[in-house]
Amino acid sequence: MNDMVINVKSVCKAFDTRNVLRDIAIDIDTEQAVLICGINGAGKTTLLRIIAGLLQPDQGSVELCGYNIRKDPEKAKSQFGMISHKSMVYPELTVLENLSFFATLYGVKDSDTYITKLLQDVGLLSYRYDTASILSRGLLQRLAIARALVHQPALLLADEPFTGLDAKACHHLITVLNEFTKNGGTIVMTTHDIDIGLQCCNRVVVLDKSNLIFDAKTSDIDTERFLKDYVSYARSET
Amino acid sequence: MRKILLFITLVLLLASTWMALTKGRIEGPSANPDSPVRNIIYAHVPSSICSLVCFTVLLVTAIGYLATGNESWDHVAAATAEVGIIFATVLNATGMIFSRAEWGPWWTASPRLISSAILWFLYVVYLILRSSLPGSKQRRARVCAVFAIIAFLDVPMVYISARYMKEIHQPSFTFDNPWQRGAFFMGMVSTMFLAAMLIWIKTDILKIKSRLEAE
Amino acid sequence: MRYFWLSLKAIFIKDIVTELRAKQVLPTMIVLGMLIVWVLRMASEAVLQSEAVIGPVALWIAFLFAGLLAQERSFATEQQQDCIYALLLAPVDEGTIYLAKLFVNIVLLSIFEIIIVPVVIVAFKLNINNWPALIGVLLLGNIAISSVGTLFSAIVQLSRARGALLSILVLVILMPMMIPATFALLLVFGAIPPEMIGTGALAFVGTLGSAVGYMITFDAVFVVACWLLFGFAIKE
Repeated sequence: MNDMVINVKSVCKAFDTRNVLRDIAIDIDTEQAVLICGINGAGKTTLLRIIAGLLQPDQGSVELCGYNIRKDPEKAKSQFGMISHKSMVYPELTVLENLSFFATLYGVKDSDTYITKLLQDVGLLSYRYDTASILSRGLLQRLAIARALVHQPALLLADEPFTGLDAKACHHLITVLNEFTKNGGTIVMTTHDIDIGLQCCNRVVVLDKSNLIFDAKTSDIDTERFLKDYVSYARSET
Repeated sequence: MRKILLFITLVLLLASTWMALTKGRIEGPSANPDSPVRNIIYAHVPSSICSLVCFTVLLVTAIGYLATGNESWDHVAAATAEVGIIFATVLNATGMIFSRAEWGPWWTASPRLISSAILWFLYVVYLILRSSLPGSKQRRARVCAVFAIIAFLDVPMVYISARYMKEIHQPSFTFDNPWQRGAFFMGMVSTMFLAAMLIWIKTDILKIKSRLEAE
Repeated sequence: MRYFWLSLKAIFIKDIVTELRAKQVLPTMIVLGMLIVWVLRMASEAVLQSEAVIGPVALWIAFLFAGLLAQERSFATEQQQDCIYALLLAPVDEGTIYLAKLFVNIVLLSIFEIIIVPVVIVAFKLNINNWPALIGVLLLGNIAISSVGTLFSAIVQLSRARGALLSILVLVILMPMMIPATFALLLVFGAIPPEMIGTGALAFVGTLGSAVGYMITFDAVFVVACWLLFGFAIKE
């Protein structure tokens, strides 16, 4: 298998006539956790959705683990899981039913033992027979993560995963994400809260007015200074 | 170029009207022999064919858009639907006038009357769908293309299903003299020209509009 | 192929379970259906001996509007937590999603039919001389209503357009089917004396067989077309 998990080549996207992404190229290797930041409307979510195949780019191509998301969607889609600020689970179904439903959709065989382990990892085991509608926001986000990981993907896409979570829930989410990268997973995440985002990412990418203006590993930069600079930049832009 | 074509269309329209109302005038057996209402056929039949042709063009543009994703197809589709509804309206209006004058009722459940009415409804719903979709233009174009294809499939189903009703429509018309045939032919040609010109102009307007929005 | 059946079954069961737990739409459908039947029953009171004619009409009107409720629900549930994205992200074919949703809508409408048909038979004092034909015609009508409705529900709900749009989209496409469908039910309920069929004294011409044949064609055309076009309708 290719070492490159994500290979984005010269992607352009315009909504109607407004350019949202201009000639974006980015390569992401395994065991990287990439934080995509930028002010509102910079194109973060659009980029993530194009990577996930939910949106079609006007130009350019996206490959996930060597599979083109357009030409080979079935294979490419099994490579990743996605979470967002909405839980993407059915409130009427129980935790267990939600997970086994998505396990079936991803063609996972004998999912029961893995689902139990997954529930243990995210700390939802005691809730497994409860319907998702009674879960709190934080617990729901744990379920969302479990749902995204139910087919054991190598890549996790996260679109504003911290929205609406309190400090404790955020902390738990960071732990789970760090665990995921430690086990060889790759994460691509967008967030406003770059303070929190930096705690679980080792590479930062900044989008500004549809262009990619900054790309560095966190080990190569002074994160304190970057944070300060970014905050003042974001303030000047808005 | 376009001015010349517009001029030709105008001449054709005037010529066909003149022919229809003078030498091509239809006399003969009718509830009211003096009534000129039978001459409505010169507007009625070409409109009915034109509205069907517009529907076919709509289908082609829909398939074109779904296959290529090129915005121009969508402009043509929008223009065609708007022109199509004009002819469908003329078709139904002239039909109703004729029906009232010749048979009494404005409308009755008969195969061709039902088909024409449903054709009109399909156009109206298409245009309502177009105007009531929020969000991106690409999505609107795609959704409208999907509806256009389904609506086109509906047309033959309409024609077959209308056969379950008793036919009262005028059987296929035969003309008595070459002048009438000529007038009918001119009517067809001028209506087609008119439709083509209207679609062309409207498409251009839509194109310019979308370019203006881009700036 | 095995994956196709598994995923189809999974989405189907998921939707049915969701509906049974939330009871979002089935009770509303049934009450709406009964109200429509009741209103038409009252209206037909003025005209003597018209029950046999208005009964089938009431049935179709009740099916159309109850069907719209079921279809509107079928993608509204996907919309609330962005679940539709979860479906699109999974490696499942769009056609499978369509077929699963279609079966759910057919089942919901069938449950509705099982309850509302006896109500109509009682209210309009109808006699049925051909049970298999009645069930066949109702099922064919059900498939037609659901096939078009499922596609347009996806269009309307996922475009975040007004819900009212769904009703005109579905009704205009179903208009042609309503002629043979009504005709077939009139024959099944014996509202048209056999000796009058095809005589020209009646607005309808044709036979029960040809009307059923028409409905089968209609169903086949639109199920296949909607299934093929569904991918375009749900993509962002």
